[in-house]
Amino acid sequence: VLRLLHTADWHLGRRFPSFPEEGQKKLSRARMDVVGRILDVARRNSVNAVLCVGDIFDDPDPGADFWEGLAKTFQGRGDQHPPVFLVPGNHDPLTPESVWAPDHPFRAKLPRWVHVVDRDDFTYEISPQAVLYARPCRSKAGENDLALALPAREPGDERLRIGCVHGCTFDIEGYQTNFPIRRDAGVQRGLDYLAIGDTHSFRDVTENLPVPTVYPGAPESTSFDEAGAGRVALVALFRRGLRPRVDAETVAFWRWIDVRCRDMNELRSLLTRPDLDRHVVRLHLDMTVSLSEESEVERILRDLRGTDATHGRVGVLLEDLENLRLQVGSGDAFPEDLPPVLKDTVARLDRLVVEAIDESEKSRATRALAHLYKLLQSHEAIGGREV
Amino acid sequence: MRLHKLRITSFGAIESVDVEFGPGLNVLYGPNDLGKSTVVAAIRLGLLLPHASTHSEQYVGWTGTGDPTVEMTFETEAQRIWRVRKQFGKTGSSVLHESRNGRDFNEVERGRKVDGRLREILRWGIPEPGGAGGSKGLPTSFLATALLSPQEEVGAVLRNSLQADSTASGKEQIAAALQAVAQDPLFVALLRETQARWDAAYTDKGAKKTAKGSVFKAAAERLNETRDEKERLERIVFESEGAEKRLRDLTERRTQKQAALATAGELAENLERLAAHAACRSAAAEQLRLAQENLQRIQRIGTETEEAERETEKLAKKIVEAEQALNAAKGWQAEADVALKNAEKAAHAEGSDSGVTDTVVRQQLELRKAAVDKAALDAQQKIGNAEAAQTLVEAATTAERDLQDQESKARGAADAVSQSATKLAAVERELRRCDMLERALDVQAADKHVAEAQATVDKQTDLSSRLETASSDRARLAVQRAAIAVPPASALGPMRRLAHDLAAARGALDVGLVVTVRPKSRFDLRVRKDGQEVDVASNTQSVDIEARAEVELGIGDIATVHVRGGRREAQDKARNLEDRWSREVAPHLVAAGVTDLAGLDAKSEEAQELDSNIKAKDAELESLRGQLAGLDGAAEALREASDRAAVCRAALGDIALDTLAADLKNLGADAVALRKRREKYSKETETARAAAYQAANDRTLADERVRHSRQALDAAVGARDRALANFPEGLDAALRAARSALAAANDEKQQVAAGFASLEDEIAARKKRIDEALSGARTNAAQATAGVEAAQTQLTTAKTNHAAEHGRLVELRKQRDAENMAAAEARLQESIEFHAALPVPERVVSEEEVGAARNAATGIKVELDGIEREILEAQGALKQVGGAVARERLRDATEAFDLAARQEREIEAEYEAWKLLLEQMKEADAAQASNLGQALGPAIVGRFQDLTRRRYETVQLTAQLATEGIMVSGAVRPTEQISVGTREQFSTLYRLTMAEYLGSTIVLDDQLVQSDDNRMEWFRALLAEKARNFQILVFTCRPGDYLAKRALVPKGSFVHADSDGGFVRAVDLGRALRRR
Repeated sequence: VLRLLHTADWHLGRRFPSFPEEGQKKLSRARMDVVGRILDVARRNSVNAVLCVGDIFDDPDPGADFWEGLAKTFQGRGDQHPPVFLVPGNHDPLTPESVWAPDHPFRAKLPRWVHVVDRDDFTYEISPQAVLYARPCRSKAGENDLALALPAREPGDERLRIGCVHGCTFDIEGYQTNFPIRRDAGVQRGLDYLAIGDTHSFRDVTENLPVPTVYPGAPESTSFDEAGAGRVALVALFRRGLRPRVDAETVAFWRWIDVRCRDMNELRSLLTRPDLDRHVVRLHLDMTVSLSEESEVERILRDLRGTDATHGRVGVLLEDLENLRLQVGSGDAFPEDLPPVLKDTVARLDRLVVEAIDESEKSRATRALAHLYKLLQSHEAIGGREV
Repeated sequence: MRLHKLRITSFGAIESVDVEFGPGLNVLYGPNDLGKSTVVAAIRLGLLLPHASTHSEQYVGWTGTGDPTVEMTFETEAQRIWRVRKQFGKTGSSVLHESRNGRDFNEVERGRKVDGRLREILRWGIPEPGGAGGSKGLPTSFLATALLSPQEEVGAVLRNSLQADSTASGKEQIAAALQAVAQDPLFVALLRETQARWDAAYTDKGAKKTAKGSVFKAAAERLNETRDEKERLERIVFESEGAEKRLRDLTERRTQKQAALATAGELAENLERLAAHAACRSAAAEQLRLAQENLQRIQRIGTETEEAERETEKLAKKIVEAEQALNAAKGWQAEADVALKNAEKAAHAEGSDSGVTDTVVRQQLELRKAAVDKAALDAQQKIGNAEAAQTLVEAATTAERDLQDQESKARGAADAVSQSATKLAAVERELRRCDMLERALDVQAADKHVAEAQATVDKQTDLSSRLETASSDRARLAVQRAAIAVPPASALGPMRRLAHDLAAARGALDVGLVVTVRPKSRFDLRVRKDGQEVDVASNTQSVDIEARAEVELGIGDIATVHVRGGRREAQDKARNLEDRWSREVAPHLVAAGVTDLAGLDAKSEEAQELDSNIKAKDAELESLRGQLAGLDGAAEALREASDRAAVCRAALGDIALDTLAADLKNLGADAVALRKRREKYSKETETARAAAYQAANDRTLADERVRHSRQALDAAVGARDRALANFPEGLDAALRAARSALAAANDEKQQVAAGFASLEDEIAARKKRIDEALSGARTNAAQATAGVEAAQTQLTTAKTNHAAEHGRLVELRKQRDAENMAAAEARLQESIEFHAALPVPERVVSEEEVGAARNAATGIKVELDGIEREILEAQGALKQVGGAVARERLRDATEAFDLAARQEREIEAEYEAWKLLLEQMKEADAAQASNLGQALGPAIVGRFQDLTRRRYETVQLTAQLATEGIMVSGAVRPTEQISVGTREQFSTLYRLTMAEYLGSTIVLDDQLVQSDDNRMEWFRALLAEKARNFQILVFTCRPGDYLAKRALVPKGSFVHADSDGGFVRAVDLGRALRRR
């Protein structure tokens, strides 16, 4: 049995600009951390080779922190290791300026068991009975089907033949130039397994064909809409003509979820959920709250996101407060025994709320009330008047 | 505000008064009719009345000498000291000075502007003079009334309010003072925090802060960064999608072109085939046509040979006819030649005789013409010479005049040079003088600074000495105070109440007791009544023991009987009070070393006086330290000033200051005037230098022009003399003779010309006659010759045509003999058959059609090649920009941009809300504070209740500080209904409270004349207490109402005396004021 670990789309060096700064760093670092876990899975399953099919880096010339980090991870695995094949993808194409260029210092730091697919006719004999064919992306976009560019099976060749290219198997308008791959390319080229990479969810696109063509997906998600991400493919090839077995194994640390709270109880219950520290949570608050509840919302959010002094309950929190609305007016939030001048201030703001000619004015006055309420609360917190 | 000094002259009954005020209570006293109220009026006028107002006329000096004048110095805040001087009357004046130290004053306003500025400084609700709402007399306002109301207007403040003020400045000032005092601490804390949020986001003018560190800046920068990144990626995606679309379009076009190329190639081939068929048929038809033409040509040669034979015969006949015509023409020609020769002979004979005669006449005329030409030339030359000589004479005269003119200008230029040099020297002297004066001024200024610095050092020394003395006094007082242990003054009241209660309780026990003891046996009796041992004379007889409250009987060692008067409750109460007395009072009595409360009161008063003195000393020490702190560096300043003076003297050099004294006196040490003077002389020096330079230039130019003019004159005179030497008879005579000779020569010339014209006419007539005769003969001869030549030509033509036709005939006969008619007919038949055998094309195809089809196919091929190239380019471009990669990054960048935009909107909304909150808090605060009555009322009420021992409940003031009345027994009563004395006390309390809040001087002109001793004493204490906070000027004829006797001005020449640590000043107006 020939065992392979098939992975792709590590996107080392990827940025997450829509996240808070601390979250950005966590997510960026997580991409490097997962490499170690992938290699652990490979060792545990005694694979014959590790195929990394494109988009290893998010950019052909990533920052030194990333390529040095990857080289260091590989170096940490010693001299004896099944071969690892790194295939340039459309994010990190093979160009003279790229990290894959022969004179780039990254190449010099790689152990000898790491092989960069830097030729169009790349061939590697994994064993006398198995051979790997791979072809790199040389640009960020291309119309050519790199799978069909692999050599066809010669008559009499009975070895297991594995193909390895980065590209897109689907035919969506606008994606024809993203290195399209025919779904039956593996069959056409006489392959036994076609390892591909590009989309970030695990998917076998050829379930009805004898030659599996599989996207292993990104080992760590990059967004909330990648349901099947966070895994690698473990491939077992038995003999020619028998469809290989492909299993998915989870390696991701982070789980990305969307949470929508429509009332305070739902929000409060979030505080009781375990394991949120390993989640990337996009929290949508879709509710209307009173002045006192708004303060509670802020307190809960602070608990979830953490402060300068404490860790948050959630690993990485992305807050969507677009639909968090304040009840208009002061209601009965303020105490009766306020000094007259503060009572007058509240009354004035309430009057502005009532007389507002549009929603923005109403919202402004309500926010002002909320500010006043919170000021009073904080004054109480530091020993001032009781509210 | 605080008054420092007041100086009045020629004001009503007052000739002069000069007073310096203390910082606290100032009691200005003197007998009735001294002029106290006039002094108060002078203060009002000095502060409020424009000097030209007719209102001042009532204060014109009673003796009529000099205009009323008021000068006062006052302080509005630290280091803002003002001095106003007004001389009232139509020719009066006003001037306002400002100072920071009370010594050096600078003028800030003069004339009519003084009052506007004063009202701006005071902020008493009085408008600028002359504006709308201004009054003609003494302007007034609520604050002016409250602070300065005269004696006769004791209750004026109760009848007025801010409502009547023309401007809001008074109200604003009161509101600001009350607001600062009345704000709730919680509100103040929240307001401060809200203001801090506002400050973080907005400028003073309410605009958003955009500088580095502002909340908006960070959000805007983030938004800009994300927007830039998004737009960059959008461009990339746009280019990428453009490249992809282009690639798709190109691929489609390639397919279309490939199909079009195939179609065009097929069409071209088809047309070429049709064209080939047509070409074969066309070649066969041509062969047929050639065969037909050949046969026709052979037939035409036979016909032409027969025609040529007939033409040759005709031409032979024409040759014979031409030879006959030639012979006839030759005969006519011989006759005409003879006639011509005869005519020529006759003409020659007539022409030779007349030619000789003409020549002789012409020669004579030529000779006369030459002679007269020479005479005219000579005359003309003489005229020219004479005129040239005349010109030279005139030129010499002009040159002489020019020389004189230039010499005159040169003298003028020399004078100008001399004058400008003199002027330059004068202004340079003045300039040097200015330098000296400037240095002298520097010396004077430096000396002044030295003197000032020395004065400061002296003052510092003096203050240090005073500080030392005050410190030791304070230490002494502190020791004295430490030796007295008394409870706080507030504790004395409860003690007194306790003593009173104890006395009452004891009184309740003081019921009177008579205890009778009738011994039945002998026993030892001990008696103690009302706390004192009593000796009992007998212990065997009955004894009556009388006591007030208590009897204690000791009966041997059997029992002690204690009899107390009063009920048990009264006894318990008394005991409790005694316990309390021993706990709460007795220790204080022991500590104070006194036996009763009266002693404790005395000790307490003593302690209070010591505390007051210590406080006064502290204030004095603080004042002295403050003054000393302001004098730090005085010694250094003196050293620097001395150094500066030395440097200035060195700069002056050997010149003694005395020599510059007159100038300096004239200048009045006015550096500005000197600077202007120096600037003036500097400008004049520059002007004089420029003028001297210009004059020197002008002189050089003038000299040069004189030299040139002299040379020109010499040359003109020489030329003139040389020319005149040729005319010894005189220039005019020579000119006249030459002109006569010229006129004679001209007459002769005209005669010769007439002779020439006559001769030419005669020759011409003769020549015409001969020519006419010769011409007829020659024409006849020429016509005859032409007839011969025409006949000869006809003969030649006939012969030539005959020869040509004959030659052609020979040739035709040869051709006819050489052709094969049968062969030609056979070839024609063959061609007809070949042509008929060829296929007929489906349609006729032209060369153009075939060419166009070929060109179309070639064009499509070229286009296809172009599309292929474009496809390669598009692929290359797409590889560079990166389709899906760019789209993925754009998605991230768009999310980041949306987030940044949301955050910016959020921040903006947050801070807009903070802004709104701050506005509303301030408005609420202002609304609260604007009810001034509510804010001021409690302070007045508290004092009024204290004064009247809570006889009155409260006081009703409106928002505009109008007095509605006083609450008595649950009803509001107008102030008119309360007693005069209480009304004036209430009015005084109101005014004092107002002045205290404003920290302003208040003038009380005998306001409390209706007050009894108790209330007067209460007021005295209040005034003494408040004197530490603000300045009070009391004008009174009864100084004892306000001052202790020891505080009055002692006998002697002193005008004032200070007490209470300088916070109370007694001013004996009788000594300070001189009446007329």
